[in-house]
Amino acid sequence: MDRVYVYQEGFLNLLTLLKYLIANKIKPFNIKEENYEASLLEEVVDLRLSLNKNILEEIKNKLGVNVLKILYYVYLSNDNNKELIMYYFYLNALKYPDTITLRRDLKCVREALKLEKYVGSEAHKLKGFVRFKELNNKVLYAKIKATNNCLEILANHFKRRLKEEYWIIHDEARHIMAIYDKKDYYIIDDNLLKMEDNKLSKDKYEDLWLTFFKTIAIKERENKTVQRNFMPKKYWENIIEVREEK
Amino acid sequence: MELKDKLRILADSAKYDASCSSSGSNRQNKYGMGNTSISGICHSFSSDGRCISLLKILMSNCCIFNCKYCLNRRSNNIQRATFTPEEVCEITLNFYRRNYIEGLFLSSGIIKDADYTMKLLIETISLLRFKYHFNGYIHAKAIPGAKEDLVKKLGSLVDRMSANIELPTKEGLKLLAPNKKEDNVTQIMQYVKEKRNRNFVPAGQSTQMIIGGTNETDLNIMEKSFSLYQNYHLKRVFYSAYIPVNKDRLLPSLVKPPLKRENRLYQADWLLRYYNLKVSDILDEAKPNFNLLIDPKADYALRHLEEYPKEINKVNYYELLKVPGIGVTSAKRIIQSRKVFKLNFDDLKRMGVVMKRAKYFITCDNKFLINKDMLKKEFIEANLVLDNKPIIEENIGKQLSLFG
Repeated sequence: MDRVYVYQEGFLNLLTLLKYLIANKIKPFNIKEENYEASLLEEVVDLRLSLNKNILEEIKNKLGVNVLKILYYVYLSNDNNKELIMYYFYLNALKYPDTITLRRDLKCVREALKLEKYVGSEAHKLKGFVRFKELNNKVLYAKIKATNNCLEILANHFKRRLKEEYWIIHDEARHIMAIYDKKDYYIIDDNLLKMEDNKLSKDKYEDLWLTFFKTIAIKERENKTVQRNFMPKKYWENIIEVREEK
Repeated sequence: MELKDKLRILADSAKYDASCSSSGSNRQNKYGMGNTSISGICHSFSSDGRCISLLKILMSNCCIFNCKYCLNRRSNNIQRATFTPEEVCEITLNFYRRNYIEGLFLSSGIIKDADYTMKLLIETISLLRFKYHFNGYIHAKAIPGAKEDLVKKLGSLVDRMSANIELPTKEGLKLLAPNKKEDNVTQIMQYVKEKRNRNFVPAGQSTQMIIGGTNETDLNIMEKSFSLYQNYHLKRVFYSAYIPVNKDRLLPSLVKPPLKRENRLYQADWLLRYYNLKVSDILDEAKPNFNLLIDPKADYALRHLEEYPKEINKVNYYELLKVPGIGVTSAKRIIQSRKVFKLNFDDLKRMGVVMKRAKYFITCDNKFLINKDMLKKEFIEANLVLDNKPIIEENIGKQLSLFG
């Protein structure tokens, strides 16, 4: 039977499992989160490892902070095979600790770097495309629908940028939200906090922004293809200045 | 006048400035609002495909100058408006906290005189920085002819400061902008170059030239840019295809702005800054204008075929960069990776090399990807053009309209 190893949700749990598999020379058929539904030919193996709290430090010291970042970004991606890619990337990083990121002849390295870039660039785009609304109680609230799980990267960005504000970023694709209380942010399930639509009243500055957005375009240079290339339609429903056009 | 009307008028008057970059500064948020991102962040894209990163507005579109090409010139009968400093702060801060913008790009028409205008810009930006503790990105236009201590003051408040050279030659400037003096602009550039540090214009300076408003050749323009980069260490020269907003017998009556030419200038500008090419590699007196069908690097390669093919596993970084289809990123990847393993054509493709362009100019391990007897100038040129669909479509359109 093909063995599928499962881990409890969370980056550290996954790393703990990967390390265990590599150390014990186990070659998994697949690695999945614990609620995985196996097919008839698969056998689910739950090792119930206790969390290795030092694993981040270990990877950082042995393989460098860049390898850790790549593993983390691949973990955040929505790729179906991300766990296996991480497994083989980690395995090869231990084999070639100094040159791993240059080994584009290895498929796992190519795939890992591709996903790292994909997540990084989506998070970078969303840093620009997030649109906060001011709720009646002065809290800033934004909805996103990200393809990859960018919420933590965004929360870190806005924690520094809008440090003196209360804000909430809601990822509707994953039903999670980041809540910031002027000290730190917390990532929670979105059913723990119900947002009522009537709190989102009309706001004078939204109107000013729409005016600015329309005015700043030069009609002699119109080029909607380029506009869409840089600002993909999948984000438009949450970007107020283009939402209507969608 | 309502704030909304002012914003409409003063954004409309500012929109022809090409620069919107918000990169190059690393301002931290100690307390208050905002910080800057070293790589810059685009917040939106307008229907002309340009990035919107900054709230780009004029303080005022009242102007004592009468530059022929400018919408805001004195003799134009348009609606005029002037923001108060508090109004600019209000819009900037409220846009910023909703994450619409990365910061402010503030310019102005010349009200009364250069010093008066400059003081108004300083007052506004001081309010933002000190009263509201705003640490977002600010790009301000320095007003040519203003006193040195005012230039100094403004530079200490902003991330980027720039002064527009407007036209590639002094003659052009004299013809179309008789009130402006190139020396006043270069004086500011010289000052910023000397004084620049992490507290003074940390993101550096840029400038802008209008293309196609006067009859300069591309060679004139590139030589001007090259000397600006050399003499004043500018971060960027922006090229702005001339758009006829005014009628004047001294101005060309273009139907369409020369966008393809503008595109070629940007490509060549990149070759100067990142590819270590010289103006004389790209253009010369015998051929002073760009080929609109082929980009400047491919054009260079076709005119210097004797330098090719380049062996991917051997040639240095700058030689790699001379291959059409290889850019800065892929060249760096090649250099790093080939130390670890020998590259073949598949590896190149995976590293982001555009093989349909590069294949005529490279060998991998002394092997060609295509029959090398075919590698004649005419053959490659025809293929490069035919592979570029947008160019073909544009030109077919032109042909048809001749008969239409």
